[in-house]
Amino acid sequence: MTATLGQDVTALLAANLQLTRGGFTLDVQLTLAPGEVLALLGPNGSGKSTVLDLLAGLATPDTGTVTLDGATLTAPGRLVAPENRAIGLLGQEPLLFPHLSARANVAFALRVGEAQLNAASARVQADRWLDRVGLAGLGNSLPGALSGGQQQRVALARALAAGPRVLLLDEPMAALDAETAPFIRQLIREQLAETGTSAIIVTHDIVDAVVLAHRVAVLHHGALIDEGTTAAVLAAPQNPFVAALAGVNLVVGTAQNGAVVAPDGRTFWVRPADAAALSPATPAREAPGSGAPGSGAPASAAPAPVAAVFRPASVVVHTEQPRHASPRNVWSARVRSIEPGSGGVRLRTSGDPEVIAELTPAAVADLGLQVGSTVWLSVKATDVSAYRR
Amino acid sequence: MIPRLLYVPASIGLALLVLPLAGLLLKVDWPALPALLLSPEALQPLGLSLVTASVSTLLCLLLGVPLAVVIARSKPRAAGLLRALVTVPLVLPPLVGGIALLALLGRGGVLGNTLELAGLRIPFTTAAVVIAQTFVALPFLVIAVEGALRTAGIRYERVAATLGAGRGTVFARITLPLVGPGLLAGTVLSFARALGEFGATALFAGNQVGVTRTMPLAIYTAFNGSGVTTDQAVALSLLLIAVAVIILVLVGTRRASVLS
Repeated sequence: MTATLGQDVTALLAANLQLTRGGFTLDVQLTLAPGEVLALLGPNGSGKSTVLDLLAGLATPDTGTVTLDGATLTAPGRLVAPENRAIGLLGQEPLLFPHLSARANVAFALRVGEAQLNAASARVQADRWLDRVGLAGLGNSLPGALSGGQQQRVALARALAAGPRVLLLDEPMAALDAETAPFIRQLIREQLAETGTSAIIVTHDIVDAVVLAHRVAVLHHGALIDEGTTAAVLAAPQNPFVAALAGVNLVVGTAQNGAVVAPDGRTFWVRPADAAALSPATPAREAPGSGAPGSGAPASAAPAPVAAVFRPASVVVHTEQPRHASPRNVWSARVRSIEPGSGGVRLRTSGDPEVIAELTPAAVADLGLQVGSTVWLSVKATDVSAYRR
Repeated sequence: MIPRLLYVPASIGLALLVLPLAGLLLKVDWPALPALLLSPEALQPLGLSLVTASVSTLLCLLLGVPLAVVIARSKPRAAGLLRALVTVPLVLPPLVGGIALLALLGRGGVLGNTLELAGLRIPFTTAAVVIAQTFVALPFLVIAVEGALRTAGIRYERVAATLGAGRGTVFARITLPLVGPGLLAGTVLSFARALGEFGATALFAGNQVGVTRTMPLAIYTAFNGSGVTTDQAVALSLLLIAVAVIILVLVGTRRASVLS
């Protein structure tokens, strides 16, 4: 086989997949570097889950190849069975084996997976895994007795305990309520980093990409239409889906005193609930070498990479510096462009990164805004959410 | 929130099921019962019935579970065809089953001749009893397990595979436990069906004391026997009912303990 010729030799996983089913055609090329987390963004029906099934060996492409670390998993006339691929899968639903306790679910993965442990050691290790995902003491519980979030924690522990070379995540937060999802997202981020597991996460939630992924690929009608860092892809949307996703302002910067500092030095204060998560002294778990530098010494801490997210509609535009402004985030910028948007008129304003404000056409006329105008922008801290990356 | 009118047919239905058994109890000659039940005419068929029904149930499990898996995991068309083939013996009068078994395995039958040449004679042996019972009981097990398999789906099996579990491990540790309740129900149903089997056995295995005379045949013989009172038949019927009830209770408590 010459399948690896011409491909990135540093790639851990390389896939080139074609599939036609009815009127749907999928044609995707993607690679994954060791330790990398790739977000596969796309609307429903774009073929995201199909890509994961093809990578996991749960479906066969019409043509194409999948190689992992140089070994061919899928090729014409060759399909390595899912159990021999070392590619794990964590879906929307936890799918814990209902007849097995939380501990036995994780122990199952330790026995049949990479570790091949005996029953006794598997039980011991399973308890350690449950501890890692914050479920110490719940080992004896049957899945039915656990909440949705707890079940997904067990499922994450089980998926990682199998020791996959690549973990595929299929909208793992989609079935969780809004209160639980951020915790599971953060936990996945931590555990992927701690275990150094390479992963592909399928999602249509931009926050998943912001928090979890190093790189983003956008899938639309079965083809990859855009690829790059999250910020780069959002800054220049290539299709309506990405534009809709990009309907948020994303500031990737560093954490300082519970705020996010943009590359150009602007400081974005965030809502109190998220500010706590930004302070470097509060990683959910002490993790040596997990990429949470300076967690022991806040004073001399290197700033941790964080992201602030807020909606364009939350940005208020003024023509003069607001005097008695209650919002803590106020800055001046120049109007770079004025475009029609989904909810009114979108103003792109200068800075690194650019910030988009959305307002009514009447307001634009009222304020006499033109391209090149200097404006004051403000956004309430309570409208800004923040995530550690 | 049940319409009151429904209680009328419901009561009649229940009465239809319960009253005959109550009537049977009234006919029992209680003082003579111990002697009747402890007689060789009662104990021998009971022993034969329990042994043959157990062997048949075991055969049903060994053959029926794999068959159920194949049907449940087949493409819809093939599954429909297989399911229909499995269901035919279920809707067939057992007597017809007996004739069919004779036609295949009996003297002059397609397979019977070959077996005869090899020195094997199946009809009118205990083996024939087991085959007849398996023939009528197998569909119950296959249908019950196949339904459970289809309900369980393949999602758990796929997850187990992505964790690294081979097909054998997945089958033993995931698939079988998942269909446990269906498997238990199917086993009970097929055992009960095997225990009560009469028609196919009578034609294919005969009614030879100690060899093929199971409880149902003993009851029939006692009931029809010249010069013998029906007391024996009633006593044997009571025994069969008792065995059935005991099994249901045993399985019921085990099931409850599994679920709790």
